Amino acid sequence: MTNRTETPWDEQGQLEVLTFDLQNETFALEAVMVREILDLLHETAVPGAEPLVGSVVNFRGKIIPIADLRLAFGMPPAEKTVDSRIVVIELEVNGETIQVGIRTDRVNEVTTLQRAASEEPPAVGLRWRREYVRELVRNAAGVIVLPDLPTIFETSIGAAALSLSPTA
Amino acid sequence: MSASVLTVDDSASLRMAIRIALTGAGYKVTEAGDGREGLAKAQSERFDMILTDLNMPNMDGLSMIKEIRKLPTQTGVPIVFLTTESDDGIKQQAKMAGATGWLVKPFVPEQLLRVVQKVLGR
Amino acid sequence: MSAGDPVAAFKTEADELLDQIEQDLLDLGGNLQDADLVNAVFRGLHTLKGSGAMFGFDKLAGFTHHCETAFDNVRKGRAPATAELVEVILSAKDHMSALIHQSDDDHEAASAEILGRLRAAIDIASDAPAPAPAAQAASPTPASAGGWRVQFYLPPDAMANGTNPLALVDELRDLGEAEVRLVTDRLPALDELVPTECHFGWDVTVVTDAPRSAIEDVFIFVIDDMQLDISPLEPAVEEAAAADVMTPETENVVAAAVSAASPVKGKPAEKSVENVRVPAERLDELMDRVGELVIAQSRLFQLAQNSIDMSLRSVSEEIGLLASELRDTMMVLRMVPVSNLFGRFRRLIHDLARDTGKIIELTTEGENVELDKTVIERLADPMIHLIRNSCDHGLEDAEGRTAAGKPESGRIHLRAQQAGGEVIISIEDDGRGMDRARIRAKAEANGLIQPGQVLSDQELLQLIFAPGFSTAAQVTSLSGRGVGMDVVKRTIESLRGQIDIESVEGAGSTIRLRIPLTLAIIEGLLVRVGEGRYVLPLATVEECIELSLEEDLRSRGRSFITLRDRLVPFLRLRELFATGTKPEAFQKIVVVGIGAEKVGLVVDQIIGNHQTVIKSMSPLHRNVTAFGGATILGDGNVALILDVAQLVALGQNQEERLRAAS
Repeated sequence: MTNRTETPWDEQGQLEVLTFDLQNETFALEAVMVREILDLLHETAVPGAEPLVGSVVNFRGKIIPIADLRLAFGMPPAEKTVDSRIVVIELEVNGETIQVGIRTDRVNEVTTLQRAASEEPPAVGLRWRREYVRELVRNAAGVIVLPDLPTIFETSIGAAALSLSPTA
Repeated sequence: MSASVLTVDDSASLRMAIRIALTGAGYKVTEAGDGREGLAKAQSERFDMILTDLNMPNMDGLSMIKEIRKLPTQTGVPIVFLTTESDDGIKQQAKMAGATGWLVKPFVPEQLLRVVQKVLGR
Repeated sequence: MSAGDPVAAFKTEADELLDQIEQDLLDLGGNLQDADLVNAVFRGLHTLKGSGAMFGFDKLAGFTHHCETAFDNVRKGRAPATAELVEVILSAKDHMSALIHQSDDDHEAASAEILGRLRAAIDIASDAPAPAPAAQAASPTPASAGGWRVQFYLPPDAMANGTNPLALVDELRDLGEAEVRLVTDRLPALDELVPTECHFGWDVTVVTDAPRSAIEDVFIFVIDDMQLDISPLEPAVEEAAAADVMTPETENVVAAAVSAASPVKGKPAEKSVENVRVPAERLDELMDRVGELVIAQSRLFQLAQNSIDMSLRSVSEEIGLLASELRDTMMVLRMVPVSNLFGRFRRLIHDLARDTGKIIELTTEGENVELDKTVIERLADPMIHLIRNSCDHGLEDAEGRTAAGKPESGRIHLRAQQAGGEVIISIEDDGRGMDRARIRAKAEANGLIQPGQVLSDQELLQLIFAPGFSTAAQVTSLSGRGVGMDVVKRTIESLRGQIDIESVEGAGSTIRLRIPLTLAIIEGLLVRVGEGRYVLPLATVEECIELSLEEDLRSRGRSFITLRDRLVPFLRLRELFATGTKPEAFQKIVVVGIGAEKVGLVVDQIIGNHQTVIKSMSPLHRNVTAFGGATILGDGNVALILDVAQLVALGQNQEERLRAAS
């Protein structure tokens, strides 16, 4: 069982995030990870890939996967609407820095979350896999889910595929 | 106008070190990686001084010195060769081949500059 | 040119020098009488000592000096070259590398140990002490209170040999107040005078505190050939030790050695062409630019095709050709012969033979085959592991081999071949081969396969690469370095390559690494399957056949086509990729192959040739083995590049499984 990663709250107990919607739930990811927000673009399906990262796009000359987080949270696959956006982020998975485009139903805003208003996901009653959720944070808009992206990617893809260290 | 020096040595790192020392002192440096290249450069351009290693592939230093002494473009050019401590007998050979002076390895930049100034005069 | 760091450059050179010394030592080990090799090793050590001292590596210079002296003794016939000596110098070579690259660490103990072994091997009482840095100073003589009178004549050829008499006079002037008088008594008659000869003499009086040695120093280069009289201006108190005039020493052996250095064997193969060193990153950058150029060109081409402007079209085609040529040139720049790689293994085998007590012979083939620089680097570790494995587990020891009727010496054969768009590197041993039953048992025990599961022979053998296959049971200090077989496989896969195993129990095993030849840009065949477009490396495409709708329907359930009396397995990419689309009317079968293995791929449409810039896939897609990368098409969309080796393997496994089950 992969451990959840830590939320990087700063010394003041704050975190700047970009919030976005997936199926009526609001999620957030660290603003520092965001590289670009794109309109939907032509995607190329990758046969044989995990459904979570089932397609790729050309992002400034680089081939990056598009991740549909809905699948990680047991939601039906995304419907494409006029508000849909792809948020390109950069993060570390298994020691490697990768770029991924996160499919979103809507991008909301950049805002600051307070650690004081955050809580661990409950032991029971959570509809989702616990290790996929770092924390739940309250703010004026409601409850915001902080997903544990590295864990989501690592478990979905499978460690064997990712830990490539030829000269161990 | 600054004096021009031809440095011939198959060790790129040594050439680099020599070049840094010489250009720092205001000399103009041309490099060659072996005797043949050194001879070719000497054939096409007049130098104020030639600094050469002896142990090189594609024509060693002694042969190169002999050939350079035959060139009309380089009459009387001072040629200093690099030698290590144990190569004492080589000095005689090199002088017979036409070398002017020598510099013993290992040397520090000051020693190099002193020899260059000695040979070039004021 | 950038200023560069001489020390860094020295380190690179030293590495090359050390490699050459190692190769020569290994050669010498096989032929201890070879005087040329002894000389080559000596010269290498000598050069290393000199350069090391130049760049401040005093410990290295000191240590190397001892090795050089030892080899000098061999060179001069005072001691024989022995296997132990070679062994010691090989260890010394490793030590020298450490002195260079880990110069901050303390190496005293190791140095002493190796030098001890060296002394034993050479059996001389003591080594000559390491040379002190050049000290030209003569023994001190008391300075004359007033100064010196210096009278000298230079040899006639002095100026022809580059001596500048005036520079000498100037140097004397630098010592103090000087009076210079030209002496012309040796001047020949005008009609006999050769202008380039020097017949002048000089009479210089210089007032100075400088000692006599300082005067002699001025003439250091010419002092042997000239007439020089130095007399004090006032009687000196005492002349100390005899004047330290340099006398030529005749060391004929050294001279002979130096003149023998002309056709130097100690250096790599002579190149009469000029070589330029380029940092690898610059090549990579250049490669990226060329890649982008090719992409832009393909977009231009697309636009031009849709234009009626003929000159635009012709220019776009021209640019296409230029981009193609540029690409080819770039590919060649990065190519390096595998002999580089194979050379490293000689030492490995030598050490393995010594450590296991087995007799192992290494042979190589195809050293001139070239691979991209980075690929060679990445193959090194996997190959080391595979070779270790062969030596450790594959080869039997001398008794075992004789008992099996084999020659005492085990053989490891490394081969490089080029076939189609790939380079195949094989590691072959004539050892005991792979025990299928044991592999099967182990795999079942570790839960990798179900008991009774049907596997082709290749699939069974490939299990040794599965993570979780090798338990700690058989990990010896040789093969278990944290580099498991599964990592070997992953490394090869990351190079978009493939590993094949061939093994005959009792006779030996061959592991073949297949690596695609070019890393960055290839000629591709663009095809369509469903709504997606895919690229096949053109080098692997053998032919294209029509597949009419009726034939397609007729061949349902069958997985083979007959191609000129050969049964070739084929794969319906539409099904493989689960496109969900219906079969089209004018499908084609693209027959691709690697070496002798072929597979037919059914596609909906062949679009055409495409210069393909290979972009790597995200790490998140590394497990998708069907694709070896992706590319960006002229319209900006992505096309996946099919990994033909994987598809061929898939076809073969399909074939074998059917055969095994029947």
